[in-house]
Amino acid sequence: MSGEVVLCYSEEPELALDLVRLARHATPADGSRVHAAVLPGAPADAGERLGKAGAHVVHTVAGTAHTDPHATAETLKMLVSAVSPTLLLVASTKRGREVAGRLAGALDLPAATGVTAVRVEPDGVRVEREALSGNAVAVERLVRRPAVVAILPGTTAPSISDGAAAEQKAHTAPTTAPLTERTEVRPKAGGQLEIEKADRVVTIGRGLKKKEDLALIESLATALKAEVGCTRPLAAEAGWLTDDHWIGLTGHRVHPKLYVAVGVSGAVQHLVGMRSSKLVVAINKDPNAPIFAQADYRIVGDLYQIVPALTKALAG
Amino acid sequence: MVGKLRIGVAVKHGVDVSLTRADRASGLVQLSSAPRKTSDFDKNAVEEAVRIREKHGGTVTAISVGGPSAKEALRESVAIGADESVLVTADGWAEWDTRAVARLLAAATRTLGGFDLFLVGDGSTDHFAGVIGPRLAAELGVADIAGARRITIEPEALVAEKDLEREIEVVRARYPVVVSVGQEINTPRVPTFMANLKASKKEPKVLGLADLGVTAETLAPAIVIEKVAVPEIPRKQVTVTGASPDEVAQRLRDALRTEGVLP
Ligand SMILES: Cc1cc2nc3c(=O)[nH]c(=O)nc-3n(C[C@H](O)[C@H](O)[C@H](O)COP(=O)(O)OP(=O)(O)OC[C@H]3O[C@@H](n4cnc5c(N)ncnc54)[C@H](O)[C@@H]3O)c2cc1C
Ligand SMILES: Nc1ncnc2c1ncn2[C@@H]1O[C@H](COP(=O)(O)O)[C@@H](O)[C@H]1O
Repeated sequence: MSGEVVLCYSEEPELALDLVRLARHATPADGSRVHAAVLPGAPADAGERLGKAGAHVVHTVAGTAHTDPHATAETLKMLVSAVSPTLLLVASTKRGREVAGRLAGALDLPAATGVTAVRVEPDGVRVEREALSGNAVAVERLVRRPAVVAILPGTTAPSISDGAAAEQKAHTAPTTAPLTERTEVRPKAGGQLEIEKADRVVTIGRGLKKKEDLALIESLATALKAEVGCTRPLAAEAGWLTDDHWIGLTGHRVHPKLYVAVGVSGAVQHLVGMRSSKLVVAINKDPNAPIFAQADYRIVGDLYQIVPALTKALAG
Repeated sequence: MVGKLRIGVAVKHGVDVSLTRADRASGLVQLSSAPRKTSDFDKNAVEEAVRIREKHGGTVTAISVGGPSAKEALRESVAIGADESVLVTADGWAEWDTRAVARLLAAATRTLGGFDLFLVGDGSTDHFAGVIGPRLAAELGVADIAGARRITIEPEALVAEKDLEREIEVVRARYPVVVSVGQEINTPRVPTFMANLKASKKEPKVLGLADLGVTAETLAPAIVIEKVAVPEIPRKQVTVTGASPDEVAQRLRDALRTEGVLP
């Protein structure tokens, strides 16, 4: 079998670079070609950076920025027919999953989202993906081509680059009547924190009795030079913290050196967000809390006693 | 202007992720024998459909693709307030992948005469792929809005607040439209005893492949699940104790210092 063709696209320029790097590892080194798509509205240096990350061919599409997932899918459809890939990689962001679904539906292709490993093999495209709300890993084989694969953000690979400049191709976006119209975009409250990049995270759960007590957690976080994370109920239900602090299946996934879970029970939908932490500390008054099974250091006790003591110990 | 809205809702009877157990030695999970329950977000989808009907009139049809146990998800949907329920089923249903499920939902939509609004969950509890809604919309050639946190019904169009990682978008689409909803959109009602009783007496309409004009070959797997396993992440599991909170805290600090994770 000669080389494979992979087409990569993400609306997030940084994630697009990760996709290109992963694509280089997902295919045989000999003869495979990695193509990257730059859609209207991308930063001016996007093509150049994709080339440096290892793309062999960069397709730059001119037109007005797409806000409709249907329009994005139609433009990708045009590129799919131009390059006939065996694999189409997108990022498993909320927008990325939607585009993956639309494109797969339109072209009758298999689509896998939440993917953490991908490889083009003779019998199909094999992926590992989060399954059972992140409780498990499923190995799946996509047998129709191209396979549409959405890679979970945070999945990275070292750069392979030949040093050769990428071949540049220019296209014009197809005229697609949009099916949805975006009338407003507003940043989410908070929204500035990039907790997925934090080295240390102190996460608070429903063990906290009232909003004012967050000061205790913030002091500990300051002493640890950590960011404050939270479970879903504190963000989505109580509204004590904004969504950018929310960790888990429907929130953010973190990869810190140190993760301190305080008053967090450890539901599967939370664990999936913190599983890649290097070292885990759990503080909980219930010795049977599931979080303890995921902890390196466990303290069974009342957070209202332990947290201030720990803050003091770290300062001393 | 659409008349009374015809609303379809897709409900999955999926694996109950909080009850699945992996084989201790191999880490493998047996999905076929795992306990099942109605997918969490699908209850939000049914609740939203019922609220829209309560405000604007119309009908709510709950549709599930699966085996006999999926009747439970339909019963629950009717208890929440769906007017009718449809089970799409055939031998071999356990093999259907997301592509097949989306095709069957599209075929059922056509067979049932179409919906103005089709609600799905933004991710199923067990699979959490989030692709069925956009796939179905593409199959039907209609608009889709994923990640809706709020829906407003206007005579000509539906307006939704769409939840992205760091932004909220307000998006408008004309009917028909497929909307995927998450947990944040509402709190599903807990059906009363009477509602549950009434729902258990209502049998779903059953549609087989022949009723849908679909052949089994077109449902052949495009995705083969080779194995599902719970990854083993080794953790030290050291319990830190002491005579007082201060002593516990100092011991933990020392341990973290040794680990080299302190700033
Ligand atoms: C589809 C779906 C998606 C979800 N997505 C997410 C997600 O992304 N992120 C997420 O976090 N959750 C998510 N959830 C919710 C999840 O299932 C749990 O409900 C949630 O994580 C529980 O949060 P918690 O640990 O803060 O609260 P609880 O489960 O109520 O736990 C509180 C803990 O605090 C302890 N505690 C109480 N008082 C004290 C004290 N004084 N000192 C020490 N400990 C104390 C208790 O022993 C208990 O263990 C999702 C659920 C579903 C169904
Ligand atoms: N077997 C099924 N029957 C009915 N609806 C389904 C089925 N599978 C998935 N869905 C719908 O599609 C949504 C998204 O599922 P998924 O793409 O698997 O995350 C679910 O929340 C359901 O609304």
